[in-house]
Amino acid sequence: MIRLQNVTKDYGGRPALVNVNLHIALGEFAFLVGPSGAGKSTLMRLLYREETPTSGSVFVGGVNLNRLHKRQVPLLRRRLGTIFQDYKLLPRQTVFNNVAYILRALGVEEKEVAKRVQSALSVVSLEHKADAYPDELSGGEQQRVGIARAIVNGPPVLLADEPTGNLDPATSLEIVQLLERIAERGTTVFISTHDTNIVNTLRRRVIYLKGGEIVSDVDSGVYELEPNLNV
Amino acid sequence: MRHLRTFFRVIIETGLGIKRSGWSNWLVVSILAIALTIFGGILQVTMTMKNVVAAFGSQLEVSAYLKDGYQPKRVAREISQIPEVQLVEIVTKDVAWDEMKSTFKVASLANPLPNTLHIRASSPEAVEAVAAKVKLLSAVENIRYPLNVARKINEFRHFIEIAGFAITAALSAATLTVIGNTIHLLIESRQREIEILSLMGVSPFYIKGPFVLQGAAYGAGSAAVAILVLVGVHIYLDPYLTDQLVSLAPFLPRNIEYGMWQTFGVMLGLGVLVGAGGSAWTSGKYIKI
Ligand SMILES: Nc1ncnc2c1ncn2[C@@H]1O[C@H](COP(=O)(O)OP(=O)(O)O)[C@@H](O)[C@H]1O
Ligand SMILES: [Mg+2]
Repeated sequence: MIRLQNVTKDYGGRPALVNVNLHIALGEFAFLVGPSGAGKSTLMRLLYREETPTSGSVFVGGVNLNRLHKRQVPLLRRRLGTIFQDYKLLPRQTVFNNVAYILRALGVEEKEVAKRVQSALSVVSLEHKADAYPDELSGGEQQRVGIARAIVNGPPVLLADEPTGNLDPATSLEIVQLLERIAERGTTVFISTHDTNIVNTLRRRVIYLKGGEIVSDVDSGVYELEPNLNV
Repeated sequence: MRHLRTFFRVIIETGLGIKRSGWSNWLVVSILAIALTIFGGILQVTMTMKNVVAAFGSQLEVSAYLKDGYQPKRVAREISQIPEVQLVEIVTKDVAWDEMKSTFKVASLANPLPNTLHIRASSPEAVEAVAAKVKLLSAVENIRYPLNVARKINEFRHFIEIAGFAITAALSAATLTVIGNTIHLLIESRQREIEILSLMGVSPFYIKGPFVLQGAAYGAGSAAVAILVLVGVHIYLDPYLTDQLVSLAPFLPRNIEYGMWQTFGVMLGLGVLVGAGGSAWTSGKYIKI
C-alpha cells in the first residue's frame, strides 16, 4: 500500500531522509518512531504529497507520487485519511460540519452526508458532540473528531503524524487503540510517534528512524530510547 | 447532480465569506458603484449624442439667412441654378415674424428676423457642397446646416468619450485595488482553514471559487446600484432632456433612444468582470495550494 524506494529528502542542510526503503502492506498497522528531528514528519509529508523527494520514488496505493500532477493531489488526499498532532479542525465549524466538509465539497447528497457523518462519529463515540465547536472539546475529543473526519470518506490508508503529541498518556492510549480498531476493519494505519508508552503497549510493527535513516524495522516491536539494533 | 450540489455548496461558502467581510462589503460596493455610475452615465450621454448626430446626418437642408436689402426671390432663383440643389423654400421675414408672434405671443417690436431660404440638397453627400456655394453669395449673411452642428457635437462627444474612459479606467484601477485588498484580508484570515481544506483533499476550485464568486457578487451588486441611480436620473431628467434635444434638432423623434438596455448590460458585464477578475487574481496570488 505504501512503498518508498531509495528516498532521500534534502531541505538544503543535512538531509532529513537518507536512502529510505520501506514497504507497508494493505491492512497493516505500523509505528514510525524516532527522536525529534529524525525525519518522521518529513516521511509523512511525502506520503500526502506536501513534499516531494529529492531523489527516489514514493508509491501510495500503487501510484507513483512523483508522477502525480498538481491537479491530482486532491484526489490522492481524498484517498488518504490524515490525522495531525494539532488536529487541524476548522474552528468556526461544528463537529458535524468538520466531518461533513469534504463530503459536501464532493457533492454528496445531504442525506448520505448525515448518514456517513453519524457513522464516523459513532466509531469515535462522539455522536453526542455533533453540535459542539472544536474549542468546546478536550484535546482527546478534538483528536477523535480528527479521526472521524479522516475516516468519513472510507480511505484505505490512515496516516497519523504524532497524533498523541498533545495528549496525556491515558488519552494517548485511547486514541491509538481507537486507530487499532479501525485497522482491524482492513484500513492500513501508519502512525508516527516518539511516545514509548503507546508503542510498547500495542506491540505492533515498529520502524525506527534516526538521523533520516531506518535503523530497525521489527514486527511486534518495542521502542526503547536507545534501541538494541540486534533485536 | 454531484457537480450541481458542489456548485451549490460553493455558493453557500460565498455567502459565508460575504457575511464575514462585514463593513468592507459596503466600501467595495460603494466605490465600484460610483465607478460604474460614471461609466454608465458617460456611455449613455455619448450614445444619445451619436443618435442625435445620426438624425442630423439624414437632414438635407441648409438654411441661409439673407442680408437686408436683397430680394429673397432673386436669391432663391440664383441658388436653384446650383446643380446639387433640389428645392428652395422661401420664408420671408414677415411670415417668420407672424409665426413667431403667434406662437410666443411676443410684444410688438420691430421685426428682428432675416429673410430665410431653406435649401434642400439632392443627397446627403451634396449638403457640404451646397453649403459652401451658398455661403459665398454676397446676399447671404450666414448659413446653418445640421451637418455643421453634427460635427460640433461629434467633437464634443469625442472629448467626453476620452475623458470619460480615462476616469472609468482610473476608477476601475482603484476598485481593483480595493477588491484585491478585501479578498486578500479575507484570505489571510482564513489561511489556516485553506491549508486544512487542502490537506483534506478539497479541490482548488472549491477553495478559490467562493473568493472569486464574492468578487463577482460585488460587481453585480455595484452594477445594480449604479443602474438604479441611472434609472432615477432618467426619470427626473428625461422630460426636460427630450424638450431640450427636440428644440435643438426639431427633426428628432420624440421617443429618443438613450440606449438604456445596452448601457445596463455593459455596466453589469464590466462590474462582474472587474469584481471576479480582481478576486481571481488575488486568490491566485495568495492561495498557494
Ligand atoms: N520545511 C523544512 N525546511 C527545512 N528543514 C526542514 C523542514 N522540515 C523539516 N526540516 C528538517 O528536517 C529534519 C527532520 O525533521 P522532521 O521531519 O520534522 O522530523 P521529526 O518529525 O522526526 O521530528 C530536521 O532536521 C528538520 O530541521
Ligand atoms: Mg514531527
